[in-house]
Amino acid sequence: MSVLSQAARRFVKASVVDARTFTTSTRRLQAEPLQKPVLNKEFKIYRWNPDEPAKKPTLQSYTIDLNQTGPMILDALIKIKNEIDPTLTFRRSCREGICGSCAMNINGQNTLACLCRIDRDASKDSKIYPLPHMYIVKDLVPDLTQFYKQYKSIQPYLQNDNPPEKGEFLQSQEERRKLDGLYECILCACCSTSCPSYWWNQDEYLGPATLMQAYRWIADSRDSNGAKRKEYLQNELSMYRCHTIFNCSRTCPKGLNPAAAIAKIKLELAAD
Amino acid sequence: MSSSLILRSTLSKALIKSSLIRSSTQVRQSTSDRFAYVPGGPIYKGTVNDPTTFPPPSKTHGSYHWAFERLVSAALVPMTVAAFATSGTNYPIFDGILGLTLIIHSHIGFDSSAVDYLHPRKFSVLGPIVKWTLRAATVGTMVGVYQFNTNDIGLTELIAKVWAA
Repeated sequence: MSVLSQAARRFVKASVVDARTFTTSTRRLQAEPLQKPVLNKEFKIYRWNPDEPAKKPTLQSYTIDLNQTGPMILDALIKIKNEIDPTLTFRRSCREGICGSCAMNINGQNTLACLCRIDRDASKDSKIYPLPHMYIVKDLVPDLTQFYKQYKSIQPYLQNDNPPEKGEFLQSQEERRKLDGLYECILCACCSTSCPSYWWNQDEYLGPATLMQAYRWIADSRDSNGAKRKEYLQNELSMYRCHTIFNCSRTCPKGLNPAAAIAKIKLELAAD
Repeated sequence: MSSSLILRSTLSKALIKSSLIRSSTQVRQSTSDRFAYVPGGPIYKGTVNDPTTFPPPSKTHGSYHWAFERLVSAALVPMTVAAFATSGTNYPIFDGILGLTLIIHSHIGFDSSAVDYLHPRKFSVLGPIVKWTLRAATVGTMVGVYQFNTNDIGLTELIAKVWAA
């Protein structure tokens, strides 16, 4: 009995001491947890649902706190999809600008959502559309079938009937340097879908991305099919619909220059 | 027993084969019947794995056309400067060449717009109409400039007079 009451008394004493420390010294030592101010920004995103084909596409507005979001547009999209509207549909994969999945039209410019920073000015909204003048599968997902079919048509692989006797194809440093600025293309279709000629004549005109890859194989010293590759382009539609508008080079999220590649093909064809 | 089994298996194989053939032809027929190919439309030629095709190669429509267009454009620059320096009445042939080159340059430009926006593959009626109207207009302008240069004061003089007026 006495042992029990003694323990109880000690417990009460200890708790009183603890309570005192809580209310006085410890609290003063603790730093205030950092409260970031709320920075709400409006995102207007193109929505279209194939399950309701009669309903016209609309811009849907979402407001999120930029201080609780990553720095890129793709972070905002993922946050909206996770926390506000799981029906929002878009392509994304690598989130570092190497896969080309998240190509879309952000504030009027075709670019990769993962490489495009959110404008911190919360007074202006951000408008996000799919790549322009493409058939839409859903929301921000364009149908790139024609784009890939065109890429396939230029036979984007090494063709040489006389492989070296043994070992591999050798290339000088100058020959290899010709491929720089061409091989880095990730086929995100930003350039092709920014080209007015591609908008109007998409069924026949190959578009800057495919033409740059065509030049990538024409310029390759190891490829022996260059004459055939050039002959394919000898018509008024496949390449000569390029009117040097330069939208392709301006919009390329990888900083490549498709217009220069097309100009080089034109020069080679003229010199033929 | 065994013979009937063999018979049944061959029978079923034949059935499967015939149904496969039928289904494949039916699919092909139904796609071509229900969804006609429209240039620029959402229906693709062939399957999604088939590459797009190229028109028959023609240097006249390709590199020769392009090179000629660039040469004409480049040639117009010194010719315009020369037209300023000389007078049309003293050099009537030069004046004529300038007029001709300007018309060809304009024709190529208009033709390029027509190919861009009103190509016959998409506009089966309007496309050819525009194409032939442009050709008629070009020939008409050539005749007009020829008449003007032979019977009247000529192109350069006209511009000089309008400029001075």
